[in-house]
Amino acid sequence: MTASTIANNKEGRSKLWRPPIVGVVTFVLMFVAIGLAHTMMVMIEHQLGNARTLQLSPLLGFAGIVMLWYAIKSKNEAFQTWIGFLSGVIVWMCWVEFYFMWYGRENWGMLPRMDGADGFAVSGTWPEYMILGSTVGMLSLMLCFYTFDKDTRCNMFLWFQNKLGLKDALGPSTKKAKDRNYAIITFMETIFVTWFCYVWNLLCFDPGLVGRQDLFLAVNMGSVFVAMIWGGFCFTRLIKFKRTSTALRYAIPVGNIIWINVEILGKFGMLTEIWVNPWKYSMEMTVVLAAFLSLILLLLLAPKKGSEVGQWRRDGTRTR
Amino acid sequence: MTKTVAAALAGLALSSVHAVAAPLTLPQGMGGVPDIGAIPCEVFSNMLVVGSKGTRLSLLTWAEGYYFAKSGKSLDEILVAETNAAENYDFQSLTDHFVAYCAANPEAVTREAVVSLGDELLR
Repeated sequence: MTASTIANNKEGRSKLWRPPIVGVVTFVLMFVAIGLAHTMMVMIEHQLGNARTLQLSPLLGFAGIVMLWYAIKSKNEAFQTWIGFLSGVIVWMCWVEFYFMWYGRENWGMLPRMDGADGFAVSGTWPEYMILGSTVGMLSLMLCFYTFDKDTRCNMFLWFQNKLGLKDALGPSTKKAKDRNYAIITFMETIFVTWFCYVWNLLCFDPGLVGRQDLFLAVNMGSVFVAMIWGGFCFTRLIKFKRTSTALRYAIPVGNIIWINVEILGKFGMLTEIWVNPWKYSMEMTVVLAAFLSLILLLLLAPKKGSEVGQWRRDGTRTR
Repeated sequence: MTKTVAAALAGLALSSVHAVAAPLTLPQGMGGVPDIGAIPCEVFSNMLVVGSKGTRLSLLTWAEGYYFAKSGKSLDEILVAETNAAENYDFQSLTDHFVAYCAANPEAVTREAVVSLGDELLR
């Protein structure tokens, strides 16, 4: 994938590339991307070894920031969206997960939570995830920031502002579409959506909060219900999108919300998480990766709106 | 009434014969196991994968209690009593013994690894 591939993609029309295909494809892409991001993480750990991974993670994360810097300078919305998402994944993996891994396992010497009838099975809630679950307070205050941000265009926060009667108090937004940089928007969206969904799952899995018996089952079944309803509602909106870049950005939370169910099913042992064991399931993961890359290629080659590729601004003026 | 009371007492007596104390459990939410010295070595090795330092420290702490009970000395005193032992042993090398023992004997219990090191330190 190169900048020129995206940047030179001409504005065009297609009989096929229109709703609901745009929304369906972007959802599948983002949903599969979550699994493959897990695969990428375990493969980095395996290849570099645990110690070297933790040593290199600051540099790897910085590489993600350099990518973001490059994308911010671009005027191509499609390129900004792709790179913003990719750098968000890299920075989350390297500067959050690997950092918490170092702090939990190496620096603080935390013990893993145990599971099973005899309490002898190491649960999936490793030290880094125990730390991540404890960041719920920080996440909540950051979400308050976005709730009270008059310039946000996130539908969820706009809905909160509407229901809380904040529209008049906050005043009108001071930014127009042409003022928005979609690289940083997509980057922050990726970070916060990933963070939110992680904390959602981790709190519902925490035996310190919900025990291990009936309340644990009830909370997680309730979680599945909410995720299906919420994700399904957002999906019905996503399939109406016409612009690829907008659909990509909207598909990030849709994919993550639906993925909540995958994590719960995995916790209950109802499915095999092949994405965290690519060596055992190499054929399956190769097929998934090939399909994912093919989807990316299709999206790159799909005709775009002029405003997505830097030819037209959304206010109707031409950039070049 | 007398028959009812007698039946209740008999039932109580019978149930107490088969009553078993519930196994010790940690407060929910905590990591680790209640008795690190009584778990299979295979479980210990699995815990090391995601919590190496904490798991090592946990068993070392258990071992220090065991060595004190056997010798009346703290681990530092035991190491000092051995010729140059304090220079030869540190956290890593002491716990490496447990790790190696459990890797070689996955079906053993962790206290056997502690006993094995104790045989070396308390000769």
